[in-house]
This record gives sequence, C-alpha cells and structure tokens, in this order.
Amino acid sequence: MKTVALGLLLVASASSAAAFTLRSEVDARKVGVEDQLQLTLTVEGGDAPDEVPLPALSNLEVVGGPFTSTQVSIVNGRMSQSRSYTYALKPRAVGRAEVGPAKAGDQTAPAIPIEVVAGRLREREPRAADPFGRDPFGQDPFGGLFESGRGRRAPPKLQVQAALSRTQLRVGEPLVLTYSLLTQSSVTDLQFKDAPRFSGFWVEDLEKPDTAPSGEAATVDGESYRRFPVLRKLLFPTKAGTLALPAATFRIRLARQGFFDAVEAVERSTQPLSVTVEPLPEAEGFAGAVGRFRVGASLDRDRVALGEAATLRFRVEGTGNLKWIDRGPEVVVKGARVFPPQGKSELRATAEGVTGSRSWEFVVVPETSGTLSVPALSFSYFDPQAGRIVAAATTPLTLDVVGGPAAAGSAAAAPGAPSRAGSPLALRSALDRPLAASLSARTVSFCTALALVLHAAIWGADRLRRGDESARRAAPRALRAARRELARVGAQAMTKEQAAALVEKALHEAFGDVSDGDSSERARTLRALIDDVRYVRYAPQLGDYTDKLKDLAARADEAVRRWA
Amino acid sequence: MGVTAGVVLLAILLAPAVSPDQAFRDANELVRAGDHPKAIAAYGQLAASGHESASLYWNWAQAAQARGASGEALWALLRARELEPGDRAVARELERLRDALNLDPAEVAPEPLAVAARTARRYRLDLVALSLLGLSVMARLFSRSRVGPPWAGSAAWTTLAAGLLAALVPVAASLARPTAAVVRRAAPLLDAASPTAEAFGSLREGEVVPVLETSGEWLRVEDNAGARGWAHAADVRRLDAAPLPSPAETR
Repeated sequence: MKTVALGLLLVASASSAAAFTLRSEVDARKVGVEDQLQLTLTVEGGDAPDEVPLPALSNLEVVGGPFTSTQVSIVNGRMSQSRSYTYALKPRAVGRAEVGPAKAGDQTAPAIPIEVVAGRLREREPRAADPFGRDPFGQDPFGGLFESGRGRRAPPKLQVQAALSRTQLRVGEPLVLTYSLLTQSSVTDLQFKDAPRFSGFWVEDLEKPDTAPSGEAATVDGESYRRFPVLRKLLFPTKAGTLALPAATFRIRLARQGFFDAVEAVERSTQPLSVTVEPLPEAEGFAGAVGRFRVGASLDRDRVALGEAATLRFRVEGTGNLKWIDRGPEVVVKGARVFPPQGKSELRATAEGVTGSRSWEFVVVPETSGTLSVPALSFSYFDPQAGRIVAAATTPLTLDVVGGPAAAGSAAAAPGAPSRAGSPLALRSALDRPLAASLSARTVSFCTALALVLHAAIWGADRLRRGDESARRAAPRALRAARRELARVGAQAMTKEQAAALVEKALHEAFGDVSDGDSSERARTLRALIDDVRYVRYAPQLGDYTDKLKDLAARADEAVRRWA
Repeated sequence: MGVTAGVVLLAILLAPAVSPDQAFRDANELVRAGDHPKAIAAYGQLAASGHESASLYWNWAQAAQARGASGEALWALLRARELEPGDRAVARELERLRDALNLDPAEVAPEPLAVAARTARRYRLDLVALSLLGLSVMARLFSRSRVGPPWAGSAAWTTLAAGLLAALVPVAASLARPTAAVVRRAAPLLDAASPTAEAFGSLREGEVVPVLETSGEWLRVEDNAGARGWAHAADVRRLDAAPLPSPAETR
C-alpha cells in the first residue's frame, strides 16, 4: 500500500455537532522539483457540502484535477457516504511549499507544509514502448490510484452460506434456515438472483437477527472473513421423506474501490441441503398439530336468561405449527343451539416455531332453561419432546339458564338450524327444475343493438320529414324582403289593387303554395288571409280601403313572423 | 346397511329406464343408509346427464359433509347457488360452511362480476332488458302517430334507458372469468399440466379460484395469494359447468 497520509489531518472542529468531516491529504511531504504530488480533499457524512474550494497553494501549481469520486457503502443497513476531490500538483521551485488550510462549511483542515528539493525523488513509471499499449497516458499521476480499476485487482473474496438449524425432524416441526454472507470486501447490495423454492415446506419469514454492524469474525479454509446473516426462514416440512433445499444464488454488488471503477457485481451460490423428515404417528382426533400447546375453554357468563346468548371461547396457545390448526372443535351442547365459531389468531414466527394463540368463539343460544353442560373439548397434538401424541382436553363447563319452561336439558337443536354441530340437514326430496337457461350475452347484445338501430331509424325518419318541411320554408332573405313589401302597404301611395297584389306576392314569397288538403291552423289562417286579400283586390272601388289594406298587411306580417 | 346400499346402487346402474326423479330418490336413500360415496356417485351421474338442480346439489353437499369432504360440500352449494341464485337456504348454508372452513368472504368470491351474473340470472335481467327495449321501440313508434298520447315520447326514452341498464348487467357478467372451487385439502398446485409435474404450492380446501386456462383434465388457476399453477380437475371443480361423470370414483 502506498505511503499515503503524510498529511492525514483530521478536522479539529470546534463544533462537535458537525454532521460531516473534512480531510486534506497529500501523498508526499517531500518531493523533488520535477515530481508531482496528489492533494486529496475528502468530505464524509450526510450533510457534506457539494463543493470544497481549493485551499491556497504556496510554491505549488495545479497541473490536473479536480477529479471527483463518490463512494457509498451500505453495511448491515448502515449507509456511509464520502466524496473526494483530487488535484495533481507540481512544485514551482526548490524550497518550502505549502497547501493552505482547507475550508468547507464550518469545518477546517490544517495547512500541510511540503519540502521541495532539487531533482526527482519519485520514480517515473516506465513508459510503454507502444504509445497505444495498455496505458496510452504513460506517466499518469493517478496511475496508482486508478490501477485497481484497470483489471489488476484480485478477485473479491466472498461467499454465501446456507445453514439449517437441524437436519432430522418430523412433519410439522420447525427448522431455521439462515443465509449468511462472508466477505472481505465492502458490499453495497445483495439480492436473490434465483429465489429458492421450498418445495415440501411451509415457509415463514423470520426477523433478521441482531448482530453487530461489523458482523462477526469467521475463518473458512484458512481465510478470515466477516460473517453477516442476511436472511432467516422458518420452515415446516409438510411431508415425510428426504426433502431437498436447492442452492440459492445471490447477486452481490461490491463497493467501488476507485472513482473510475465500475460497480462490480458477482454471483455466489449456496450449497444444496437436505433434511430427513419422519412421518407423524396417526391417532383418532389428531389433525396434524405439532408442538407444545395448552388448551382452555371458558364461558363469558355462568348464568343466562332464556332467549339470551352466551359465548363459549376455546383457545389453543403455545409454540409449534399453530398456523396449521385451521378448525375449531365440534361443539354440541344439549338444549342449546351452537352457532359456527369465529376464529382469532395472535401469532408470531420465532426460531422455535409459530408462537401465540388461536381461539374460536361459539355463540351458544339456550333453547331450554335449567343447567346446560358444555362438554370437555379435546385437542390432540404431537409433542416432539415427548415423541408422542398428547390428547389435551378442557374442563367441562356448566351454564345456568333461567326463565321459561324447564325441559330437563334434553332438547336437541331444531332440524335445519344454522348450526347442527355435525348432524346433516334434511335432504330435499324433489329434483326440482332449475331456472330456464339465460340468453347468451351475444343475444342480449344483438337485441340491444337492434333496438338502438330501430330508435335511430325512427329518429332519422323524423329528421327527414322535418327536413322536407323546412325545405318548403322561404329563405331568411326572402322573408325579410316580404316583410319590407308588407311595410310599404299603407306607407306609400298606391291603388288598392297594387297594395293587395303586394300583400299576396309577399305571402306567396314567404309560404309558397298552400295545399288545400292541409288542415293545420297555419294553412287555414293563410287561406283566409289570401281570400280577404283577393276580395279587396278584385272588389269594386266603393269606398276607402286604406284601413282594410293596412289591417291585411298587419295580419300578413304577423303570419310571416309566426310561421314562415 | 352396506348390502342394502349396494343393491340400491345396482338398481340405479342397471335400470336404464329409471326416471331422473326416481334416481334422485334412490340416491337420497343411499345418503340415509350412510353410503355417502355411492350417493355422491349417483348424484354425479344425474348431474352429468343434464339433470342438474339446486336440490340435487343441496343433497350432494349434505352427503359430502357427512363424509367429511367440506370442500366438496362447499363446491356443491356454490353450484346450487349458480343454478338457483335466490335459494336462501343455500346461501345460509354456504355462509356457515365458509365460516367453518375459516375462509374469508373474498376467498370464495374472487370474481366480482360473478355476482352480476347471478343477479342477472336470478332476476332474469336478460328478458327484462329485451322487454324494455321492445317497449321503447313501440313507444317511440306510437309517439310519432297522430293518435299517440303526449307521454309516449317520454316513455320511449325512459324504457330505452332502463332496458340499456338491464342489458348491461348480463353483458358485463359475461366478462367474468370462470371460477372453480378446491374440493381437496391441500390440493397441489403444479408447475405443469402433468401428473409428474412438480408441486410448488397447495390450495386451501374450499377456496374459489379463477380458471385461467384448461388443458384436458387440468385447470390453470390463480390462488388468492396470486400464485398461478395447474391443478387437476378432480381437485378443483368448475362452478360454471356440470362435473365430469362419477367424480367421486375417479380419484
């Protein structure tokens, strides 16, 4: 390793609450005037500033940089981040040189004195014969710094291991599978490439164990590693035989070593494992519960009025494969109706198995008064420590029912009651016919579309009819002309024949020919108006028709305004 | 009892002219005699021959329950509900059995549109829709005539809207995925439609799962946790069709 840290000067911050640190380092305190040296300014911490200004240089000049690199490390969930700014410096003259105090935020790194002597103290890297060979830049001042990124770094030493807490057990017994990472390098990410498939097991996730952030020391094949448990699973075999746990492959990302290094990812696989699983013994009433359990039953009250309900609670607690116990016991209480239970669970996965309790609450509705007996409820489980099936049972309970006629506690649940506690419902005697088959969705869709088309067709026909009517109507310009002509009647001097002809012409322009077969109000009004106009037009001049003509013009104007 | 049951079953099998009603009554006798497997086989034959009804599946469910096959009982009740959505006894018994199997309501109803299908069937919304649509067309024609009442136009629009809404239900229901019920405890979920395929999970007894694909006697299903795999048709029975002949005897 290079002799770095001639000037490793950690910050002597006045503020102990600073959320980042600042370092100023050079790779040599004594150099020749023809040499170069590196100055590295490093900030580390979550609140580090984005910029670190170059400190004042005395008898030194910058010949390269700054080159920035950021490094993020995540180890055991803890993240640390640092950023470095690297400069290449060259002395100007023999004598004393100095890198001034570096400042960033409220942090200050002290100045670094450097002695400059004549000639060259540091060996120049041999120039390659081929300028376009492996390193076209020859005397790269950062060669040493970057060499790890140019393929010369040794392969990372990493392993993943899978370990079982035991390899021989019975069906339903728990075992813990732990995946661990053994590493000599910093790792930024680790995840499954191929998630393992636990065929033949019921799997529960376990919380990650509390371990030191730095892991624990481990030696494998003479190599020292740090071991980090990364994942733990609780497995319950569901069948007997030799069950295999296939290898799991992890993809691991390594922390970058230099700022030109690519993020490197490697894959590591665990060894396949196997466990030998023995079958469980069989016994009447045994449904596969394995572990150590306690059972209990209780009533929420000892005394109840006829017509009211009591709640019977059956509870199983302990450690084992509690999640497999999915059914409560069958409860039959003579003289009472027992409704189906509601189940509750308070379970937690631990390395010893699933711990907690499951309970079932039955609503018991007495159907007769007197003292009802709730029989002992049994629960069988396999005790791995004892190696046998244990039949546990609750204590029988009694329930006093007051009020109503006593029936000696012999009444049975009515047939067809919601809970028959095992007794089948009455069979139906007639093979009734099911509902007629429904029309297919295609048929319904077709008929719907047909109805819409018919509606559209009717609407279209209406539009066409109205279109014909509107076609018969005069254009707005003609209407305006007609009304102007009507306005002339009475306003200008003209004979009654001229005035009547003008009115008739205006009506014709506005309405065209009025069909004799049209019996609408519009047609009737127009025909009457035209008759009056013609009467005045062809009548002998026996008096003054001015008022009559004005009246006809006003009626015609009203008709045009209303109907044209 | 066994001899009696055997004779009854033989009579069912050897008498081709026996009516479906008589076969149903004979199967009921088998249940009363305690021969539940043969009774279930007889019910299965009746169903496979097209004589399905809610009563048949109701009795099938009772026989399955007496035999301890709760998943099969739940399937039979679900099938009864498909045929007779308005049967309240079936609905009550379904709820009781679901509770007894510790199943969440969502675990027996993975397809929301299936409810629409049952509603459409129960209230015959297909026929209601067609009737309303026909009425709307007639009302529209009536509104055009001179003798039509003034409300005919409004009635046409109202019945058209109601008819479209009613038609929407069965059409939307047709988009529902078919479903099936798990009739076997811890039925294996396989990674291929083959008896030699590897089981990578198991299905809960009574759980209703959508059917994604079929291949011969195999159904590709998706359990409530989202795992997709293949299951045998004898372990996972469809709710949209009658079961295969003699399902109780096949496995």
